[in-house]
Amino acid sequence: MTPRVLDVLVVGGGATGAALLRDLSMRGARCLLVDKGDFGTGTSGRNHGLLHSGARYVVKDEISALQCARENAVLSRVAAPAIEPTGGLFVATPDDPPDYADGFAAACARAGVACREIEPAEALRREPALRPDLRRAFAVSDGAIDPWALIELNLRSAVHYGGEALAYHRLVGLQLANGRIVGAELADVRSGSTFRVAPRMVVNAAGPWAGRVAALAGAEVTLTLGKGALIVLDRRPVDSVVARCHPPSDGDALVPVHTVAILGTSSVTVHDPDRYAISPAEIAHLMALGDQLVPSFSASRVLRAYAGVRPLYLPRLDELQPRERAGLAADPAAAEALAAGRIDSRRLTRAHRVLDHGPRDGIANLVSIVGGKLTTCRLMAEETADTVAAKLGLGTPCRTADEPMGGADGGRPYWLGHRLAEREVAGGGDADLVCECELVSAGDIERFLDERWPCSLDDLRRGTRLGMGPCQGAFCTFRAAARVGERAGGRAATATGERGLLVAAGGPSPVEIGRVADGPEPPEPGDGPIGPALVDAALVGFLEERFRGVRPVAWGRQLQEAWFEAGVYLGVLGVDALVVDGQRPCLPEDGRAEL
Amino acid sequence: MPSCDVLVAGAGLAGLTTALAAADGGASVWLVAKGHAATHWSHGGLDLAAPPGTVGGGEGVALLARRPGHPYEIVAEDLPAGLARVRRALDAAGLAYEGDLASPHGRIPTAVGATRPAGVLPGAQAAARAPWRPGEGLLVVGFERFRDFAAPAVAASLARPLPWAGAPRPERVTAVGVTLPGLAERRNLDGLDLARAFDDPSWRGPALDAIARAVEPHRGDGELRVAFPAVLGLADHPAVAAALDARLGGPWFEIPLVPPSVPGLRLYEAMVAALRAARVAVQVGFAVSAAIRTPDGRVAGLATAAAGRPFPIRAGQVVLATGGFASGGLVATADGRVEEPILGLPVEAPPQPAWLAPSMFDPAGHPLEAAGIRTDRKLRPVGPTGERAERGVRIAGALLAGARALRERSGDGIAIASGERAARLALARTVGALAVPSGPVAAGPAAGPEGRGAR
Ligand SMILES: Cc1cc2nc3c(=O)[nH]c(=O)nc-3n(C[C@H](O)[C@H](O)[C@H](O)COP(=O)(O)OP(=O)(O)OC[C@H]3O[C@@H](n4cnc5c(N)ncnc54)[C@H](O)[C@@H]3O)c2cc1C
Ligand SMILES: Cc1cc2nc3c(=O)[nH]c(=O)nc-3n(C[C@H](O)[C@H](O)[C@H](O)COP(=O)(O)OP(=O)(O)OC[C@H]3O[C@@H](n4cnc5c(N)ncnc54)[C@H](O)[C@@H]3O)c2cc1C
Repeated sequence: MTPRVLDVLVVGGGATGAALLRDLSMRGARCLLVDKGDFGTGTSGRNHGLLHSGARYVVKDEISALQCARENAVLSRVAAPAIEPTGGLFVATPDDPPDYADGFAAACARAGVACREIEPAEALRREPALRPDLRRAFAVSDGAIDPWALIELNLRSAVHYGGEALAYHRLVGLQLANGRIVGAELADVRSGSTFRVAPRMVVNAAGPWAGRVAALAGAEVTLTLGKGALIVLDRRPVDSVVARCHPPSDGDALVPVHTVAILGTSSVTVHDPDRYAISPAEIAHLMALGDQLVPSFSASRVLRAYAGVRPLYLPRLDELQPRERAGLAADPAAAEALAAGRIDSRRLTRAHRVLDHGPRDGIANLVSIVGGKLTTCRLMAEETADTVAAKLGLGTPCRTADEPMGGADGGRPYWLGHRLAEREVAGGGDADLVCECELVSAGDIERFLDERWPCSLDDLRRGTRLGMGPCQGAFCTFRAAARVGERAGGRAATATGERGLLVAAGGPSPVEIGRVADGPEPPEPGDGPIGPALVDAALVGFLEERFRGVRPVAWGRQLQEAWFEAGVYLGVLGVDALVVDGQRPCLPEDGRAEL
Repeated sequence: MPSCDVLVAGAGLAGLTTALAAADGGASVWLVAKGHAATHWSHGGLDLAAPPGTVGGGEGVALLARRPGHPYEIVAEDLPAGLARVRRALDAAGLAYEGDLASPHGRIPTAVGATRPAGVLPGAQAAARAPWRPGEGLLVVGFERFRDFAAPAVAASLARPLPWAGAPRPERVTAVGVTLPGLAERRNLDGLDLARAFDDPSWRGPALDAIARAVEPHRGDGELRVAFPAVLGLADHPAVAAALDARLGGPWFEIPLVPPSVPGLRLYEAMVAALRAARVAVQVGFAVSAAIRTPDGRVAGLATAAAGRPFPIRAGQVVLATGGFASGGLVATADGRVEEPILGLPVEAPPQPAWLAPSMFDPAGHPLEAAGIRTDRKLRPVGPTGERAERGVRIAGALLAGARALRERSGDGIAIASGERAARLALARTVGALAVPSGPVAAGPAAGPEGRGAR
């Protein structure tokens, strides 16, 4: 079969890849985006959900601050349905260095990041749960952003402009000839089958996996992986983003997201983007941090913990910008390292970089986009698309900052009460709730399945927030699995397909995909249709995934909930009878549990 | 201050059994509980013991009783008497439980199309365990608009060998949906809504007709067993069951669902009815916060509260049956402690990093499941070195250390056996008090929430 010809293959369906697919499609390029998992299962699905105003970075990283400030305004306009404009407060507590606040205010003014000092009393009127002995408070325009909604908006828009996106498709190989990529091999991780495409350009937007993707073309991209752990609270003690006014060690902030609030983050260097755990010490650190912002925080209920890795690019010496060089030279330790040919990554900008592997590595049609933030994903895409368009000879300019996404209603920002309002006006099947915590209706589920089938319950969760509330899936898993089961009932499929879907349900890492896909046929002679095994996998995989997130914070009410859930699913429903050795979706370490 | 011979804290199977056994023995008994128990969440059957590799409950109990530190090591001998007592109460309510320690664990279908081993079952579930005969089929009936039971998915799963783990299984499994009268417009129906509907005789008739009509075409040449979601009546369940027997003329059974558990509620109500008949004061909604003590420190009653008002109860003997983590009998803290919140009893528990296994489905269970109060043979709490930790109180049920009830399927048996034993030992210490014809304690407080358990 002759491989399909494409203008651009985008590798990675995180926020960056999705924005890039949209950008290039709007410019008229024929593009395909692939992700080895569901969209938004990489770092984009494991972050803090903070739409930065730039204030966090003003003191140490002015480039990032400026980019965030600008993109905050742009995204609020073009991606409104994915954003809750909560506003933000930077508060100085007695635990924070008193002089930082002055420097902070000055730096905001210098960088042009909107920031207004308010009386502590006013801050407390706005957020009464905060500790009463605040020293100072600054109002900024931080917000909350739903990464899956943002990705969804971008993909929908991209598809509208002719783009194509495939979940559960992994780039496994690149063929080079004469300094060019001439073919890309893609594996459907659900069926195990592979096929080839012939792209004119390949963009590596693989986040923390960017080094591995570049390596497929023989290029070296070095990343420092900084793991951050976060914890999810069962409610919103604050309705604005609240951040500490102190040097951005771990980006300490409490972000209200939908019905919950997220506190983070810790920061620990790791080496494998697929395997990392959350330590009890990190959890203890986060709880203590919470108490410094909201009294009795540690007594409240923590629903789950998760972690992601920041893909920080470690530039080669010849790639340092003059400004960065100056920054490194100003710091004695960093200067010493630099003299010895090493770069101290803590002194680098968190801003992204577009790497053109033509001049860099002699691969004419490969571009990598590395580093950056959720907040700046559109800008990252724009700069990358500029490079790509130049190589393709496309003259069309970027329009992603001008055209709002989300259809006719696109201008309306997210608001917390939207689900309830929808449920109240909706009649018919829509009023039947599958997930009571998050008000997910049967209609929401069916609509998602209509578009995405076949998919796992975890995919359904990212699309609908199923199982993300206090009970963490205790009731809805059962109901949603039944709906998946009904759909599966009518479908016949091959045994390989069945195994592939089994894998999909647990959100496995590359290692495990290989293992399951290469394993022996499932020993299930009478198991004809795809249906039941898919439901087993959906149930078991989803319960395991939720359990993984609860485990690091299993105490108090959440342990009680976990015990209740185990009683129902093991005691009453006997789900353990469906867990077959070797077929159970294998799970990576705790840390990979998502939001 | 009210006083009684035996005061039981906890309205789970352990507390209910303790109270019934104590009352049967002639003691005056109060039962107080913060709220409802595992009965309301579980399947309504009585899991005695089905650790892997065992064939029947008796064998399972014997196996666990040989494990050092397992509750059955102490209480197994009391299981037959306790089980007989509980069975009498359930039979009196018309629930017709079947099975005993000698019955093999059959594998019975669950609401996700899996199976579980089951020993003692309510009459309405018992037909699930009868051996499947050659040619026999299973028809799974679902109700339209009822989101907690997906008959087609259950049937599709049960049609495979996998869920049956090698046990005999039906030759064919099919599903049918029934539209029940008047429910087409209802939203978010749960099992309890349907059970209450079945309790209404005027609704029941047409509903059962519709069911019978739907089942009829599925009768082929071979025999057919019919499965329903467990919603066939609550208070009037025996009448619903009898009417269904007459309509179907063949074997049928109920499959328990996610909470609220209708079979569990029936069990609870039957036990409470027996307690009321034995003149036990049952007070649900009374959280116990501390002990009342004699001047020399012995526990002589419990301090409870209802509607925000303190309500102390004095008692000769106190039994704590407040359950494990799910019911709040045990509480785990963020900094790695496990506490018994009422008396602050010493808790035996693994260190925090080892609380939970990485997989929810770890076949060995989670180390924390075995956490609880260690006791002497008289169920009196002891500390790490075996010293008495508290006087005047005994422990029963899931609060006891040493079991992994979910994996062993031993929770109900331990609750019943330990309840029986705790009552027996308490009665032995109550002889003096019994000589006084204290009778049943008059009543609770005037505005007591008696019977709140009926929901
Ligand atoms: C703990 C933490 C908190 C953060 N908080 C914030 C915040 O509050 N605000 C903010 O703006 N930013 C935040 N960030 C940064 C932000 O999350 C990331 O910069 C951003 O999500 C990166 O998106 P991406 O699309 O570049 O990468 P990813 O989302 O990681 O996407 C890469 C994708 O590539 C796919 N992939 C990899 N290899 C292959 C292959 N071979 N074939 C196919 N697909 C492949 C992966 O599956 C993945 O989906 C945070 C980061 C962390 C770690
Ligand atoms: C959902 C679920 C399903 C289960 N399924 C099975 C199964 O299938 N098989 C099996 O073997 N085991 C199962 N178990 C294990 C179960 O714990 C035992 O089966 C058994 O029912 C425990 O009974 P118990 O009376 O000891 O405790 P519980 O049933 O937990 O009762 C505890 C009682 O104490 C009360 N209480 C707690 N604190 C206070 C206080 N401070 N003051 C007053 N009252 C208080 C509670 O309100 C409750 O009434 C299940 C458990 C759960 C949670």
